[in-house]
Amino acid sequence: MSQVWLLRRLLGVLPLLLAISVLLFTVVHLAPGGPTDVYADNPSVTPQALAQIRIAYGLDQPLPVQYLRWASAMARGVWGYSIRTGRPVTTEIAERLPASLLLGGTALALSALVALPIGILSAALRRSTVDRVLTLLSFAGISVPVFWLALMLQLLLSIHWALLPAAGFETIGATGLLDHLRHLAMPAAVLSLATIATWSRFLRGSLVDALQQDYVRTAYAKGHSTAGVIIHHALRNALIPVVTIISLDLASLISGAIITETVFAWPGIGRLFVESMDARDYPVLMGLMMLGSLALVLANLCADLVYTLIDPRIRYE
Amino acid sequence: MTGRPALAFSLACVLASRSVGAADAVPVPVPVPVHGGTLTVGISYDVDTLNVYVTAALGDIEAAVVEGLVAPDEHAHYVPVLATAVPTLANGGIELTHQGKAMRVTYHLRPGVLWQDGVPLTSADVKFTWEAVKDPHFLAESKDGSEEVESIDTPDAATVVVNYRSVSPAFASTLFTFGILPQHLLAGKDLNHDPYNDKPLGTGPFMVTEFRRGQYVVLDRNPHYWGHDAAGAALPYLDRIIFYVIPNSNTLGTLIRAGEILFAPRIPVMLAKQLRGTAGTDLVTGPSLGWSYLDFGMKQVPALRDPTVRRAIAEGINRAALVRAAGNYPQAIHSTVLPVFENLYDPEPDAAVPDYDPAAANAALDAAGYPRGPDGVRARDGRALELGITTQSGDIDGEIAEQILIAQLKAIGIAAYADNKSGIAYRQARYKGAFDLQYGRITTAADPVYSMFYGTHGPLNGRGYTSAAMDAALARMETSLLPDERRAAGAEMQRLFAKDLPSLPLLSYVSIAAKTQRLQGYVTNPTNMTDFVSVAHWWLMPREQSP
Repeated sequence: MSQVWLLRRLLGVLPLLLAISVLLFTVVHLAPGGPTDVYADNPSVTPQALAQIRIAYGLDQPLPVQYLRWASAMARGVWGYSIRTGRPVTTEIAERLPASLLLGGTALALSALVALPIGILSAALRRSTVDRVLTLLSFAGISVPVFWLALMLQLLLSIHWALLPAAGFETIGATGLLDHLRHLAMPAAVLSLATIATWSRFLRGSLVDALQQDYVRTAYAKGHSTAGVIIHHALRNALIPVVTIISLDLASLISGAIITETVFAWPGIGRLFVESMDARDYPVLMGLMMLGSLALVLANLCADLVYTLIDPRIRYE
Repeated sequence: MTGRPALAFSLACVLASRSVGAADAVPVPVPVPVHGGTLTVGISYDVDTLNVYVTAALGDIEAAVVEGLVAPDEHAHYVPVLATAVPTLANGGIELTHQGKAMRVTYHLRPGVLWQDGVPLTSADVKFTWEAVKDPHFLAESKDGSEEVESIDTPDAATVVVNYRSVSPAFASTLFTFGILPQHLLAGKDLNHDPYNDKPLGTGPFMVTEFRRGQYVVLDRNPHYWGHDAAGAALPYLDRIIFYVIPNSNTLGTLIRAGEILFAPRIPVMLAKQLRGTAGTDLVTGPSLGWSYLDFGMKQVPALRDPTVRRAIAEGINRAALVRAAGNYPQAIHSTVLPVFENLYDPEPDAAVPDYDPAAANAALDAAGYPRGPDGVRARDGRALELGITTQSGDIDGEIAEQILIAQLKAIGIAAYADNKSGIAYRQARYKGAFDLQYGRITTAADPVYSMFYGTHGPLNGRGYTSAAMDAALARMETSLLPDERRAAGAEMQRLFAKDLPSLPLLSYVSIAAKTQRLQGYVTNPTNMTDFVSVAHWWLMPREQSP
């Protein structure tokens, strides 16, 4: 990997983000309704007052002008004010981001810890009873609706056994790590289930392919143990597609998990997005979507870098 | 804390026993209110702001913090709060001016009221509230009533004289009822971005001590509160209220069952059905000044401009099925004025919209030139009678009612389908008339302004209904302070409504709240001012004494 390549990739992010911002801005404004519609059924908000509100938010300008104003302000780090709450967009996002990062980060870590061993075991013991059971469980994990699983866990763990809080981010007044972990346990488990199932299936598939390659046969012929062959020879090659899918899921750390956050009353980015969408809160929506886009672009870049670490044959010039 | 409630409860038992004397009946202990405790409340919407004039949500939290001059009680009658009396013509609080074409309303402020920071409330605060709300730079959701006021005089610190441009009988439903803003804190500030919106300062029984967006709002007792109960004890009884934001109704049900949420106002009917029989939890129903309706999109669908078609649809709707689906909580209605508004409701048959009569509906549609096609769907000039029903996405009760309406319309040869929208898109469709049929619910103030819904230029008349006779009747009803005149105009409005049928009233809703049996003193409030208007009188029975 050359530094020139990295610099070129980083510089390439800018026009990409610019193009994404034009697309997002257009799509958001194409949705029916606008932020001032909240006032439209109020008889005491006169047409003059309504016009004043539109001017205050720059909504009286043509769409290209609105975009240019927004883009130049964004470039200067001015993200504007939420139309719904009157607070800075950066404050709105900064308040919700830690909760999403905590939930998404924990779910991803949990997924990696569980999915990788399952995938390896399943591939190593392919067509065995263990493989079939793990395959069945994986398909169940992919198929079970998130909201249903969440409700079942709440019923069992919160009502029946009273082990964990049913919802929320923290207990008011509680300061310990344990309190956060207790609130985090169920949503993280629910969020990671489908990921574990997907990742483990991907890894199994690519590892089974790798295990049928000539170099694996050679390794066995040289007297390596099965574990040694898998870990030192097959796994590295099998990880490339898994890294790709992990990088895509990594971006969801920023965009939040709407269903899980809603069911568990988790104060994350996903819920903020839904609330802002319902109110057509353009500044917050654009801030959130640009952040999500940036995360996706950077996650892809990270994946490209990780490829070179996994497979030394990959070189970027 | 534990000694005081126990003593109070014992004393109450003794008093109750005495009251039944030597009767054989088992004496029922009358619980005596005790101070203390934390009430956890589950609300289903995210809190955008705590400024009562800005929020797009119902002001549950604000009602516990910010007070108005008057407020509606549990019977939807206005009672004084920060004022000493509700102004009326009879008590001299309202005077007609400009030859009866305008009015002057005088409020006398309750003495000794302090803001939560200890500063006295004065008439200057009331005047400031009007000036702040009507300021066009203040981007507020609720500016109701501010434009009707011409000027405000404050002859002394305890007297407010409001000069209206016209006669406005609904004055009590707006502006000063929502809440008074503190001049000493907000004068010269930009109300659009002021920290007040996160931590309002009021005169109410509770004050905001913590607001975590997307999570919870903590209210603590206001030590300066002016209220006292009948026995002279200081109000409020509760020490703390925590409002938790629970956007999912199933999760809310789980938290109620787990005992983590002690009170949830306005729960959906579907959740109420799930919670029936939950130990320690009561489902309290109360009247609501709300009704559900099916609106006819006359702007969008030419067929619906024909009163015969609208009447046929009305005759094709069986309200009994809607009531059953809603757990038998609501009641069928046949008038746009709810029976609870005794001063306006006209019970005569010619003021009622048609009841269920599918045979008549089919005959009327046949006669109107909409014969059934081979697929059973009616059509005229090659155009099938296919109508989308729009309701708010995610509103469980509304979506269930919608499915029933689709089935009932199919039975009379109309192919209806769900065309739901969410948030702003739904709101826009509603007021712009971008719908074929629209199922919705409205909850009004204690003195509803019907011209908003049925006036030619009414902001909620998205359906495109126009009637000069209706406009005249509404104008008479809404510009008179004389009860007989208002009743007569109201009766005429209802007759015109039944004849023209711009909308089909379906069910009169009830408000359902889930509350712990420990919560006492709670009364429902049927208006859009929420149950929390009376929260100063709520109290929690200690666990050891709960039923």
